[in-house]
Amino acid sequence: MSGALVPPPTGTGLPTDAVPRQEGVPIIHPGGRGEFLDKIEPADELMEINMGPQHPSTHGVLRLVLSLDGERIRACVPDIGYLHTGFEKSFESHTYQQCIPLTDRMDYLAPPMNNLGFALAAEELLGIEIPPRGQVIRVIVAELSRIASHLIWLGTHALDLGATTLFMYCWAERDRILDILEWISGVRMMTSFIRVGGLMADVPAEFEGMVRDFLRDFPLKVDQYEGLLTANPIWRDRTIGLGVIDAATALAFGCTGATLRGSGVPYDVRRAAPYCGYEEYAFDVPVGVNGDVYDRYLVRVREMRESCRILHQAIDRLPDGPVNSPDRRVVPPPREEIDTSMESLILHFKLYTEGFRPPPGSCYRAIESPRGELGFLMISDGGNRPYRCKVRGPSFSNLSALSRMVEGSLIADAVAIVGSIDIVLGDVDR
Amino acid sequence: MIIELAPEHLLEAVRCLRDDADHRYEMPVLMTCVDWPEREPRFDVVYVLRSLLRNDVVRLVVAAAEGDTLPSLAPLLPGMDWHERECFDLFGLAFADHPNLRRILLPDDWEGHPLRKDYVSFGEPVAFTHNLEWALSPQDRPEYMPGSVRGSVERA
Repeated sequence: MSGALVPPPTGTGLPTDAVPRQEGVPIIHPGGRGEFLDKIEPADELMEINMGPQHPSTHGVLRLVLSLDGERIRACVPDIGYLHTGFEKSFESHTYQQCIPLTDRMDYLAPPMNNLGFALAAEELLGIEIPPRGQVIRVIVAELSRIASHLIWLGTHALDLGATTLFMYCWAERDRILDILEWISGVRMMTSFIRVGGLMADVPAEFEGMVRDFLRDFPLKVDQYEGLLTANPIWRDRTIGLGVIDAATALAFGCTGATLRGSGVPYDVRRAAPYCGYEEYAFDVPVGVNGDVYDRYLVRVREMRESCRILHQAIDRLPDGPVNSPDRRVVPPPREEIDTSMESLILHFKLYTEGFRPPPGSCYRAIESPRGELGFLMISDGGNRPYRCKVRGPSFSNLSALSRMVEGSLIADAVAIVGSIDIVLGDVDR
Repeated sequence: MIIELAPEHLLEAVRCLRDDADHRYEMPVLMTCVDWPEREPRFDVVYVLRSLLRNDVVRLVVAAAEGDTLPSLAPLLPGMDWHERECFDLFGLAFADHPNLRRILLPDDWEGHPLRKDYVSFGEPVAFTHNLEWALSPQDRPEYMPGSVRGSVERA
């Protein structure tokens, strides 16, 4: 595999005896990577091998059945379901409040995003609005978790291609974001911080300072990451021109997020169907040109910078006031009131034993998760549990286009391509 | 926008929505099914398509009965391929002309379709003094009870 990094040296190097000599076909080809392999006649028989489900570069439990012609992939069939947890079935037997911790565990690299999508869908069914302070805190938490998720993607993607240092750098910065999430919610990863009707609690006083500290350092860190990769000849050789998917194909497969934007389609749910007041923030939607691994890398790195811009605007405008909806059907009465009012005590009790009942109806709400369009199709029959809640995991659609991207490439490049679509198997299998 | 359709018009409608120069609903967002066991026909099959041109989503709803075969949209919109396999897997719906209609999330030898309402997802019911009938064997349980064999046609 390591041979793919460096082109074979001119006129020497490769063991000529390994390949049977054919009339008129040069055995040693001095050109770039892979051209040597094109000169060999296609094999009559393809070799089938399993990549995964426990291969470290498949980012979870993904199994790829590869049909190989030498080093070249002729067909790739992804096999998923190893992490199928049946969340959609579980939703149907849990109240809306009990569903929030379940959503955390779907896309486990950006749990607040799942909370947000679920809460927005339930709020649309209920017809309630969140006060401005709650909206802005939701935006801050969502953008922080987008950066945290992109940092894991960058670190592991670079690690797959041999850049060990960056992995540690990214992990360190992600830890600072997890510290902020822990400070506001008590939990580092599965925060369940965004709830139907608002938030778990208002943020503590230190929150603003912590976010500002992070924002002061982070752009310099992104410069550092880019300094290690963007112009690095090895990185460019391993990523440019690989895993190309054109805009029309990406659209037809339902790809979203950086996988679609890398092909030049400026589709971002925050722009197309703004939620939480995203229409009031100034930010750009970065797009690529060639739709290859390198462009998807550039798009995500620029997205981290755009998230910083959004965070700066959000933290500057953070208004005072309540964070939760005043609607007592959904949000419990304040603690002080429970001590003095019998009705509030009863309401509180009923809210946590029975839950709330959105009127019968259905809605589809989507948000821009780090991986693309995360949608919730929620159907209520008037009961206290979702009658049906379909989760549109962005990784599911992005992964379905994988076989188009890897066919014809080398087996070592499949690792780069799988890394570039940034799948989370919890999101694929749900 | 929600459009209710008969199954025989589905392919034509999707082709129109996708190819019409003023609409361009060409991005398959999701496709799923909703089970209403008391209703006839039993299933609502839901397709969500997005148009970047109009910045809009459209939801197509097709009613299907148990054992119906719906036309597959995978030849028109390749993104629907995996979604249809998911519906086949979790609801037991069949699609005509699908290139590869196999289970996708569950193992091939799995019995039943878990997202149907009559598929019981949790373990053995626990009997207390107020519901001693829960200690009955699955064959003897009343049909309405979880774990009842009679209630679940698929698992019998």
